[in-house]
Amino acid sequence: MSTILIIDDDPRFRTQARDLLEADGFIVIGQAADGASGLEAAQSLRPDFVLLDIGLPDVEGFEVARSLAIDGPPPLVVLTSSRDARAYGRRLSNGHALGFIPKERISGAAIRALVDRG
Amino acid sequence: MVRTLSAPRATTTVNWVRAVLLIAAGTLGLGMLVGNAQRGPITLGTVLEILVGWTFVACGIFLWARRPANRLGPLMTTVGMLWLLGRTMTLVSIPVVYTAGLWLTDLWGAGFAAFLLSFPTGRLTSRADLAIVGIFLFVTVPLEFLWLLFLVPANGLNALGLAADPNAAQVIDRIQRVLISLGAVLLVISLGWRWLRSSGPVRRQMAPVLVGAVAILLQSASWIFLSSGTSLDLLDDLIFVAQIAIPIAVLSVMLRSRMARAGVADLVVELGRTPTPARLRDALANALGDPTLQVAYWSSTEDRFVDAAGEPMDLPEDGTRQAVTLLERNGVPEAAIIHDAILLEEPGLIASVASAMRLAVENDRLTAEVEAQLQEVRASRARIVEAGDLERRRVERDLHDGAQQRLVSLSLELQVARRALGDGGDPAVRRSLDRAAEEALSALAELRDLALGIHPLILTESGLGEAVESLADRTSVDVSVDVGADRYPPAVEGAAYFVISEALANVTKYAKATKAVVRVRGLDDHLSIEVEDDGIGGADPRSGSGLRGLADRLAALDGTITVVSPTGGGTRISAQIPIIRPTPAPV
Repeated sequence: MSTILIIDDDPRFRTQARDLLEADGFIVIGQAADGASGLEAAQSLRPDFVLLDIGLPDVEGFEVARSLAIDGPPPLVVLTSSRDARAYGRRLSNGHALGFIPKERISGAAIRALVDRG
Repeated sequence: MVRTLSAPRATTTVNWVRAVLLIAAGTLGLGMLVGNAQRGPITLGTVLEILVGWTFVACGIFLWARRPANRLGPLMTTVGMLWLLGRTMTLVSIPVVYTAGLWLTDLWGAGFAAFLLSFPTGRLTSRADLAIVGIFLFVTVPLEFLWLLFLVPANGLNALGLAADPNAAQVIDRIQRVLISLGAVLLVISLGWRWLRSSGPVRRQMAPVLVGAVAILLQSASWIFLSSGTSLDLLDDLIFVAQIAIPIAVLSVMLRSRMARAGVADLVVELGRTPTPARLRDALANALGDPTLQVAYWSSTEDRFVDAAGEPMDLPEDGTRQAVTLLERNGVPEAAIIHDAILLEEPGLIASVASAMRLAVENDRLTAEVEAQLQEVRASRARIVEAGDLERRRVERDLHDGAQQRLVSLSLELQVARRALGDGGDPAVRRSLDRAAEEALSALAELRDLALGIHPLILTESGLGEAVESLADRTSVDVSVDVGADRYPPAVEGAAYFVISEALANVTKYAKATKAVVRVRGLDDHLSIEVEDDGIGGADPRSGSGLRGLADRLAALDGTITVVSPTGGGTRISAQIPIIRPTPAPV
């Protein structure tokens, strides 16, 4: 069973994502509403995965992913957004994240597909 | 051209004065004739002598009547009267009258010098000219008095001859002649200098007074070299003829405008080339033949006249040797031409030149106005495009924050519900939920396409390079991208992106191409864009709104777009966008 931390400022999304991922066998060990508290939570909870929104209120998801990668051992970061990949281009493949899944496609299967691919 | 006089009508008194003077001159002339006839046969010299006086008085009175404001008329009349009065009185055998006659005859020289130097206004303005007249006055008033004290005339008639001393009288006479000659030389230098520095109209106007100055010089020279008592009748007669011609010539110059207009024609040609201020001045100086000419421009901010460099400039006052011709527009001064006062005697010429210059000044003003308006239109067009870009960004963000988020949420909610049902529940409800989830996903996809078309976030976030890569990824033909990671002003990036986007859309839709190349080069001051394909060509930039709209968008940034699309030879679209944007005008 993999643990996952959800970082997103929209509480409704966090609930929906938690429901879907738990239904798919993930353990949601924490939730955070912005980049700063997300980093703290990751530090203390040490999740296997982080589901990370790109459009956070305080700092961009890309920055959070970079910070997470510095403090070892890094969790596997899954970037997400209500925009699709076309809005971000190569920034999505800068090496700090496992991959990108648009929000409406979030599922345990989609995350596992990224792991298998990466 | 006939000059219309605006001077006030002469009063009846002045008319009477002039009539009396005219009659007096006639009488004095006749008196001279009679007096000379009593002494022997009338010579040609005597007739000419009388004619000199009459001509001066007649021309002076005529000018005085026609141009009452000008002092030259009364001055000429005075000079003529002095001549006639002095010479008539020396014919009278009464000591007081005879002596006064001698005095007045010589005093005439000072009047004549003043007349020549004060042409054409009748006013002496420069100190040098005043000094020259002063020399003549010194000779003809105090020295003359001294001379008369010692003089022993042949006829014995000297009312002032208190200490008869022929030697003293002769010494004083020599001094007088030398001083008069000196004054005459200075007179010729003063007028000659003014004449040499002028050209065309001014020179022609000054010719009579210059002749007069030369005549006075010749006469004084003859006095020095012929002082032993001999007389050269021919020279005297010639000088008389000159002295008769001078007032007639002056009168004709003063009353008739007969200037060649060739100078004005040259001026108009020069003005047509929108000359620099220096060249404008030179052209005006040429046309008017006045090298001292200056041009002053009215500064409405400083509320005074300034020169071409913007330095404050004072206009000469009335009655000096310089005169001012103002160029006004709706009662507000625009410029002023400062020129030799002589030119006031050429009102037609001055008016033509002023009109030509007014056209030039007006032309400059209109050009500046149109230029300013054009700048403003350019700036506002650029602002409109910029405002449009900002608006596109705002709409994209609103779509993202609103409808897009809600569709994501709806989609996820449907998936949660479907997951909750699992394999249980009504199969019809399960199918319905599946369909609803699919619908939500395609609605979201369509909305994202729309948002991307309105404003590609990747362009503002990551720049032209990545945005074009992203475009290329979505294009069905093989696109090679050579763009680079440099960033440019948002308006430039926006325009470049939409050019490439439209070009690639055309490649997909019409060109039947197998591959395309996008090249972007950031040069010193502009961005150069090229999109090339190997398709069928034949694209017409005039048909269809896509390329036309792009051309407008680029033009707003002073950019250009060229489409080369020979049938069967592929299509090549190139665009140039200046990176330094035109300075926006204040809103």
